[in-house]
Amino acid sequence: MFQYVVRRTLGSIPTLFVLAAITFFMMRVAPGDPFSGNRRLTPEVLANLRRAFNLDLPLWEQFWRYIWGVLHFDFGPSIKNRDYSVSELIGIGFPTSLEVGMWAMLVAAIIGIALGIAGALRRNTSVDYSVGAIAMVGLAIPIFVIGPVAQSYFGLHLRWLPISGWGDSWTYRILPVLTLALPNIAYISRLMRGSMIEIMRTNYVRTARAKGLGERRTILRHALKGALLPVVAYLGPATAITITGSIVVEQIFSIPGIGRYFVDAAINRDYPLVMGVTLFYGSIVIFANLLTDIVRGLLDPKVSYE
Amino acid sequence: MMLANYSARMTISGMILAAIVALAQPAAAESVLTRGMGSTIGTLDPQINFLAYEGFILDDIYEGLVSPDPAGEPVPGAAETWDISDDGLTYTFHLRDGLKWSNGDPLVAQDFVNGVIRTLDPATASDKGYIFTSTISVVGAAAFNGGESTDPASVGVSAPDDKTVVIQLEKPAPYALYILNSFYFPPLHKPSFEAFGGDFIKPENIVTNGAYHLIENVPQSHVTLVKSPTYWGADSVKIDKVIYQITEDDNTAVKLFKAGEQDITYDIPSDQIEALTAEFGDQVHVTSSTETNYLSFNITKPPFDDIRVRQALAMALDRDAIINKVVKGGYVLNCGYVIPVPNYPQPQQADCAMPKDERVAKAQELYAEAGFGPDNVLALSIESSNNDAYKKIAETAAVMWKQTLGVEAKVNAQDRDSWLAAFNDGNWQVFNDNLVGDFAGPETFLAYMDPRAEAGYGWQSPEYEAAYDKAMSTEDQAERYKLLAEAERALLDTYLVIPLSSSPSRALVNSRVSGWVDNPAGWHSTKYMSVQ
Repeated sequence: MFQYVVRRTLGSIPTLFVLAAITFFMMRVAPGDPFSGNRRLTPEVLANLRRAFNLDLPLWEQFWRYIWGVLHFDFGPSIKNRDYSVSELIGIGFPTSLEVGMWAMLVAAIIGIALGIAGALRRNTSVDYSVGAIAMVGLAIPIFVIGPVAQSYFGLHLRWLPISGWGDSWTYRILPVLTLALPNIAYISRLMRGSMIEIMRTNYVRTARAKGLGERRTILRHALKGALLPVVAYLGPATAITITGSIVVEQIFSIPGIGRYFVDAAINRDYPLVMGVTLFYGSIVIFANLLTDIVRGLLDPKVSYE
Repeated sequence: MMLANYSARMTISGMILAAIVALAQPAAAESVLTRGMGSTIGTLDPQINFLAYEGFILDDIYEGLVSPDPAGEPVPGAAETWDISDDGLTYTFHLRDGLKWSNGDPLVAQDFVNGVIRTLDPATASDKGYIFTSTISVVGAAAFNGGESTDPASVGVSAPDDKTVVIQLEKPAPYALYILNSFYFPPLHKPSFEAFGGDFIKPENIVTNGAYHLIENVPQSHVTLVKSPTYWGADSVKIDKVIYQITEDDNTAVKLFKAGEQDITYDIPSDQIEALTAEFGDQVHVTSSTETNYLSFNITKPPFDDIRVRQALAMALDRDAIINKVVKGGYVLNCGYVIPVPNYPQPQQADCAMPKDERVAKAQELYAEAGFGPDNVLALSIESSNNDAYKKIAETAAVMWKQTLGVEAKVNAQDRDSWLAAFNDGNWQVFNDNLVGDFAGPETFLAYMDPRAEAGYGWQSPEYEAAYDKAMSTEDQAERYKLLAEAERALLDTYLVIPLSSSPSRALVNSRVSGWVDNPAGWHSTKYMSVQ
């Protein structure tokens, strides 16, 4: 397995390089540059700004300089947030996004899987219909509606939880985590229910039952493992997305994460920041996929690391 | 149950309060003000920062030679008095006695000179360089900023002694006092800059000269300032601590305001103004900002080189309906190019006050005269930013042109950078335009439209230039404003632009805060405020 991890990690280097190249040249196709926002700037001022950020060099040279910097773990300065480098911005914001995202995924996985199993085992009963209704609500109502409504009710009306912000208290975590978890709970429960129903009909489950194994043991020992496979496949990439921050949730709840950089950097033409968050996200996705594949191997004997 | 619970809580909190009071006596309770900030802080570097909302913080922690009063008018700041030479080219500022930096170092005239030099230094790469090379033309500033001269002494800002700052201008700029404040003219504490480089504004390193001092800056979260004991006017500063909360979502800010957790919000969502006014009355503040909105024609491209086409299109618009019925949100209908400024006799575009029928008939007549009609339909595209208010303006104008004249107008809504890039390309036809003034005076707007400034409109007007030049050498404000109004009249009469509105600046201000005065430039120094 160690060999497998090393091979996959090395294999991700060309992927990241291609990602960097595509992002770098594509973002330059967008009209404007980081300094086109102020219409009064004189040519001298513009020239000074472009020079300071190496934007006056030929594009190829800028690219190679960037790659050279990345190889030395220098992701450059942020053009719009000049008090910080790209590494600092990600370094300061990521732990917060990670914390919110991990909790949200954990809550979503536990509740989603439990609801899915309950729905599958009590098919076409009121339990199943309730689970279906929860899933429908979670998928149909967007988080930019759920967030503000939860904020108004629990924060402003009942005063149980803080409206927004980020502090040491765990109370700040509840609303954003639940808001972020809800759509995932919905999706995971549907996924789990479907695969559970399918698994319960397979031959090996029937064999287990025929051999006189109790219902509890059949489900926990045999069915669950197989039924989890599609959920695990979903969890990998979904976790990668969630822990890199949700711009909607972070803005609504004023959470100091990195989610907004994905959008703001592109709108502001903050080239180094666009590159930084893209490469960072790319690496997380690659890592999450690797983890997913390892877990799948543990769950499914048919998967091998060769 | 509710009641019992409530009184139990009261008793406990009462006991805690009593304990705190007993411990803290005789010190009075600390007064804290919380202010909203629409976006995270990109930079607090006083010579680099260029965003108005960061300017709030800079205005609290730094002080320029002059300082805006609660209404935004310049009053003595670090300088107690000043003299302006008769030709309007030399400004001599006399600093107050005993000025200090927050670390106790004496604040001297050279610190202000260093601030300007650093702003202009090409290595600093500051947006604000243009203030000294173009808004007020300081002698030698352009050459120094452009790298043609590397000698700081060649720039016309000097300190003949520790208490005197002399500024020399290439041409008169009678509005210069509006520029020499904390936002454009902050001093530089050179020892800390030399020791820490770009990190000199980090909370652990920063040295300031304003009424407040920065103690905390958490990106995306908050910035905390405390009252500075070394500030010359510290005795009259009433609020001990200011917390700037970063609330990017205006709806969240409104909830914080309602809960009493944010005293002053950064903005108000435009669709909530009415409801909030009904609920909070005069705690809702909506006033004109220094942003003017207008549609521009590319007169270098036919058929917009024909004034009849431009006039017809202007007259086909019901500007009152666009601004007051569609855009709303505090936008103020404005038929002049310059934002509404007190004492400025603002000219209006002629058709703006015409009765509707007459205006429409005239528009159709001019449209036909220019050779357009059902057989020869005018097709055009409007370049617009994708900001909500802008999109509404462009889309409504397109509909009105279609209804009144049969014009086929297409709206290109795009992000801000693409929109401005379209303008710079010069291939646009109608541009959904705006301009944010450097200060709240007609000079800044008319300097931008000066044909010689070549902002990209490609228009000519000797009349405008003559009136503008004469105004710039007139010290008396009333006389100068009259001349500037003549220049603006020339601009409006060519129908190069269709002025529409001035953008609002909006805020919820808790009634426990006093000292807040609405003003277009958006100056709201915490040092003038107090809380109950």
